[in-house]
Amino acid sequence: MSGAPPAAARRDFSWAPAVPALSLIVILIVLPYISILGASFTKAGPGGHSVLTVSNYTDALSDSFFYETLARTLGIGLTVSVACLLIGYPVALHLARLRSRWGGLLYGLVLSPLLVGLVVRTFAWAVILSDNGVANGILQSLGLTEDPLPLMNNTLGVVIGLTHIFLPFMVISLLNVLQSIDPRVEAAARSLGASAFRTFLRVTLPLSLPGIITGSILVFLLGISSYLTPLVLGGGIVKTIPILVVQSLLTTFQWNVGAALSLILACAGMLAVLIFLLATSRWRKIDG
Amino acid sequence: MDKFWRRGWRGIHSLYTALVYIYLIAPLLIILAMSLNSGELLSFPPEGLSVRWYVEAFHNTQFRSAFLTSILVAAVATLCSALLGFGAAVAFMRLATRRQNGFRLAMLSPLLLPEILTSIAILIAINAVGWQPSYVSLQAGHILITMPYVFMNVVASLQRADPSLPLAASGLGASEWKVLLRVTIPSAKPGLISGCLFAFVISFDLFNLSLLLRGIGGITLPLALSDYMNWNLDPAAAAVSGTSVCLSILAVIIIDRFVGLRSLRF
Repeated sequence: MSGAPPAAARRDFSWAPAVPALSLIVILIVLPYISILGASFTKAGPGGHSVLTVSNYTDALSDSFFYETLARTLGIGLTVSVACLLIGYPVALHLARLRSRWGGLLYGLVLSPLLVGLVVRTFAWAVILSDNGVANGILQSLGLTEDPLPLMNNTLGVVIGLTHIFLPFMVISLLNVLQSIDPRVEAAARSLGASAFRTFLRVTLPLSLPGIITGSILVFLLGISSYLTPLVLGGGIVKTIPILVVQSLLTTFQWNVGAALSLILACAGMLAVLIFLLATSRWRKIDG
Repeated sequence: MDKFWRRGWRGIHSLYTALVYIYLIAPLLIILAMSLNSGELLSFPPEGLSVRWYVEAFHNTQFRSAFLTSILVAAVATLCSALLGFGAAVAFMRLATRRQNGFRLAMLSPLLLPEILTSIAILIAINAVGWQPSYVSLQAGHILITMPYVFMNVVASLQRADPSLPLAASGLGASEWKVLLRVTIPSAKPGLISGCLFAFVISFDLFNLSLLLRGIGGITLPLALSDYMNWNLDPAAAAVSGTSVCLSILAVIIIDRFVGLRSLRF
């Protein structure tokens, strides 16, 4: 390698393979986010010129319907992430401790909903939860209810669907952490006389806290930004911010309003995550 | 006594876990069962088994053209994100560790930011420069969303490989191209395969981004399906869904055979 270029030139060249990917990120992430921020602070003035304004924000923030929708959106996100945690934790624990040849299959089972499209899963839940759907059919044939239960076209239906759709994300987040816990730590607690339940409460649970936090934040953010599932399973009655935003973009063409609404949701979501992180920081310091 | 409680607790835990697995898989199985229904209506359990609704769905010109659009968009997205993601992964491995975090964050940003917010932002940006959404914006959006999957999986593969191999090869006189061809690409292969399969499936199923960034006529299968579902809930919609479910199961099996599901990165 006598003709090797000097070190500085080589270092420049080593960046080259990343240039196309990073250009795509700049064009489709950086520039659009700048432009949505710009759009949220402008509106069409006289003569078709855009003028700077904060009215897109102040209009929304002085509207009680908007607050109601924002609260509902955040509430759905919170409910779904708690539900995913309660449902997903035992499963992640089971998968992490499984030492059998079924492990791969069961892991595939957890992943499979992730690989089936959003539309298909939402459609499946619409078929199950509707008034003459599968769930009501089973309940009625068992004689548990006479009239069909309202499982859809309300917040309950949205939560049931979203929990199913985002459960794999929670299980994977938990599994990543649970698998990294040294089994000898639990064995040590047991041999020192702690009961199985106490071992779980004082050793396993605190050690898995990072997974709980990651998974909850992930599911919360996915929940508040979902559009199709609340639209279909909410039957147009349950309005969320993403539904309002898409309406304002594709139906009423109020671009600037849509931009402001989506940025308010993003800020509210980040604020909620921040509060959650601050609230859990005390535990994280003790156990981490 | 402790043993008794432990056994009972284990039993409850297993039962609960089994119920969750059923919850996870039941909607997909119900859709598959309904799609094989020989009757006129969506019913469960099915009245009789047949593939007539698959034939029906295939003869529906809207579904057929949407299916072809989806295959085209997903194939181009997979190919492009394979090239871009692989290039980025190679550059990532050459970076100093302290710079890797920022680079990774940038590369994963399409996944970390909500897909719908990114799509809205892109749509507003397109509007701001006075263009209209078209096939180009749809395709570019799909590449953006799928690229991180290839990047993550290739990086994971390269990190598992012996870092001294490329050095050894170039020390023995191999040119940069030869190192790339004979060392880097073979070590990246498992991640490249699973990343590409994942990219294809993700692109094939993408809904929000396609809804916002499609041009006139650029209807992908998920869009056609949700359109159809607004007007009719019949077994043809279940058949289209069933096809999608089967494709996904196929992808899971292939990934498991080639590289093992647990090596997959999200």
